[in-house]
Amino acid sequence: MKIPRGRLMASGLGAMASLLLCACEVTGVGVEGSVGYDGGYYEPYGYDYGGWGAGYRVGPGRCCDHRDDHHDVGRGHAGRAPAYRPAPAGRSAPSIPSRSRSR
Amino acid sequence: MKCTHRRSLGLTSLMASVLILGGAALARAADFQLPALNSPPSSEHHPGKMIWADLVTPDLAAAEKFYGGLFGWTFQRIRAGEVNYAVAMLDGRPIGGIVEKAIPAGQHQQSAWLTFLATNDVEAGKKAAVSHGAKVLRDIKSYPLRGRQCVLSDPEGAVFALLASSSGDTPDYLPATGDWIWTSLHAKDAGAEAAFYQNLLGYDVFDQPSDDGLEHLILSTDNYARASANDLERDSARRHSHWLNFVRVENASDSAAKVVAMGGRVLVPPRADRHGGMLAVVADPAGAPIGLMEWSESDTKAEPK
Repeated sequence: MKIPRGRLMASGLGAMASLLLCACEVTGVGVEGSVGYDGGYYEPYGYDYGGWGAGYRVGPGRCCDHRDDHHDVGRGHAGRAPAYRPAPAGRSAPSIPSRSRSR
Repeated sequence: MKCTHRRSLGLTSLMASVLILGGAALARAADFQLPALNSPPSSEHHPGKMIWADLVTPDLAAAEKFYGGLFGWTFQRIRAGEVNYAVAMLDGRPIGGIVEKAIPAGQHQQSAWLTFLATNDVEAGKKAAVSHGAKVLRDIKSYPLRGRQCVLSDPEGAVFALLASSSGDTPDYLPATGDWIWTSLHAKDAGAEAAFYQNLLGYDVFDQPSDDGLEHLILSTDNYARASANDLERDSARRHSHWLNFVRVENASDSAAKVVAMGGRVLVPPRADRHGGMLAVVADPAGAPIGLMEWSESDTKAEPK
């Protein structure tokens, strides 16, 4: 059976294109055609990133902060049971690592 | 006969074009190597730890000048195709990246830092995230030295990335001045969001006492605090769930003043936080928010009460 040369070449072309697509995946060439890193803008414009009230605390505590006895463990939102699994009652919130990096 | 010959010639030219274009793309991609997080590689793995951040900004040179002046970062430029990327270095270590990209006309989006959280398995993380309501913004991609990563938005729309580092995770040291020290999630329902990230990354979740009636939670792994999840202020009409990353500074007030002098803005003026040190939130000249946090050595050396 004789296969037309054109069809053979077209098949080869297809195989090569597939190979290139696979190579792109491995080397980090974006599938959208960009070469390299495809970072994008994800944050909408015009929203508040501040406006914190006086008691708004977001950082870690010092080593081994103990919970205030007046607060229930994992009290949840407005008295509801929390959606998360609270850490065991006997454990205190840890702090960040304290050992220094030797330079 | 003539027709067959012409078709053959056409196909040959097409194949050559594919090879040349593909080869050129691969050659350029080969030049674009995001650096390893740790060199030499670290044997530590800390799922849930913030291990990297990327800033997307319209003016790379301006961002380099701002962050170099503020934190003492130096930069290593990488160019690949139309992408300008700078690796931010602190004491010779890569700690983050800055991507230059024009904000598409007509799109109401702003420059921001993207938080990368460590995971051991990006595929499993993505699957778990999606099954709990997340959306995939950028699918999994491999960078040989850096690792595998994907960008997601959580159920409230806060954007974050998962990264399985090829060189292990940043070891658990007290971050040096100029390094990332903390990351906080600000959400409409911090409890629900904490549950989402707990399912994803295995955090222990600690409720923190607060005076403002809002929920503030500490998320930890390996018995270290990794992040916090906080209710957004309820009276803010323009609330938007987001992650916010903090850099350790010597003096938050001085750094905030420097930010203003260099064309940035102060979003949250310096104030004492839970650990007794000061923190502030500022925006760089392109509007990207970033936190400043003081941390004295004695803060972590304090013995448990």
